[in-house]
Amino acid sequence: MKLVENKYYLKQIQIRYIVYAILALLLMLVELLFIDIIAIESVTPDLLLILCVWITLAEGQFVGLFFAFGIGLIFDVISGDVIGTNALAKLVASYVAGFFHKERNIKSNLNTLRFTLVVLVSAFIHNIIYFFFYLKPAETSFWQFFLQYGVSATLYTMLFSAIAILIKIPAKEIDID
Amino acid sequence: MQDLIKTILRFKVLITFTALCVISLSLISLGEVSKISGFRAIVIASISNIQKFFSWVPNPVALRSENQALRDLNLQLSSEVIKMRAALIENNRLRSMLALKDTSSEKLIPAEVVNKTNVQMRSYVTINKGSRDGIREGMAVRTDAGLVGEVVATTNSYSLVETLNNRHVKVSAKIVRNQIDGILNWEGGNFLVLNNIPTSFEVYPNDMIVTSNYSVKFPHNIPIGRVAKVEKEYGSLFHKIYVEPYANFASLEQVFVIDYIVDEEIVELTKKIEETIKAKNRQRK
Repeated sequence: MKLVENKYYLKQIQIRYIVYAILALLLMLVELLFIDIIAIESVTPDLLLILCVWITLAEGQFVGLFFAFGIGLIFDVISGDVIGTNALAKLVASYVAGFFHKERNIKSNLNTLRFTLVVLVSAFIHNIIYFFFYLKPAETSFWQFFLQYGVSATLYTMLFSAIAILIKIPAKEIDID
Repeated sequence: MQDLIKTILRFKVLITFTALCVISLSLISLGEVSKISGFRAIVIASISNIQKFFSWVPNPVALRSENQALRDLNLQLSSEVIKMRAALIENNRLRSMLALKDTSSEKLIPAEVVNKTNVQMRSYVTINKGSRDGIREGMAVRTDAGLVGEVVATTNSYSLVETLNNRHVKVSAKIVRNQIDGILNWEGGNFLVLNNIPTSFEVYPNDMIVTSNYSVKFPHNIPIGRVAKVEKEYGSLFHKIYVEPYANFASLEQVFVIDYIVDEEIVELTKKIEETIKAKNRQRK
């Protein structure tokens, strides 16, 4: 009976990971193809970061790190960005988001405004790291550029994360208790 | 051993995080990874194709800003058209009064730059049109922006153009605003220098410089550049005017050869007088 339960549990995890991967690919396409539609004065939300934070809060810091690194790396490759910048920024953001992960409070972490706050903190750190690599120090002041684009991008990402909290997640915590 | 495994498991998150950070930083420091550049090119090309496929999706924000920009441009162009119509009428009237030849009707021969040569502060470009296409030595070469130089040699299919950024090239030029003539030459760097403009005439930055009516090399009124800065040299009666050329000599790709040769009689006469003066000088010495 226990073995059957374990198999079922593993299958559930596999399905979730596949769903995350498909979602990541879809969001990458959205980021590359349609992000201009929702851009305000060239400021865009980072949908992939929202997914990374979501995965980290749902699955834990350890799993979140791998997903964040993988998503960031693939996005670097397909977006033509410097390879490793998105990977590093999303990795650190997920690491920070991981400290908010609580096995017993997954639902309240994901379905309440707490999620948007975690996204805010993670997006802030993500953008500091990303813009640090993105900018050539000789051309523009880092802080000036970060305040102009980084902060607005952080707030816009947080705003978009509010949509994510409306999604009803499967009640994973019943397995843990 | 078990303790070690336990420690690793205990700090697995931190160890993983550190390892992935190191990998990311290594990838960043590598920069362009040539091994995957082919794959990357394919991915980016595929994304571009998908983008093209979805290009019909309207972008309201972009459309709004594009509409605004087009409206502004339309307004600007309308007023430009009105100004130009007025200028054309005025121009025709003045031309008929002065019986001047309409220089704007000169034939332009389009050509492409196929080679650039820099030999000890002398700069030349080779264009893919030659004597077979009606190009002759002495013809002026320009871009849509402004004067580039002069054809100095031709073969059947190619011509060599001496650009303005050559030390020995001197162009008779004038300031459009006050019609004062001077001599333009290149003394190195990005700017041309307009000399022989007396300090009694005011010259301002952004004043437009064109070829002078006295030029024996170039047709008159070809735009050359704009005044970048004006220097007054101590004890000198003349300004030193730095001119930023309109034509970008570093990125010349397409040019036009002006099918116009200054009256050879004038050139001959000038040469004759110059030689006479030189001969007299030699006799004096």
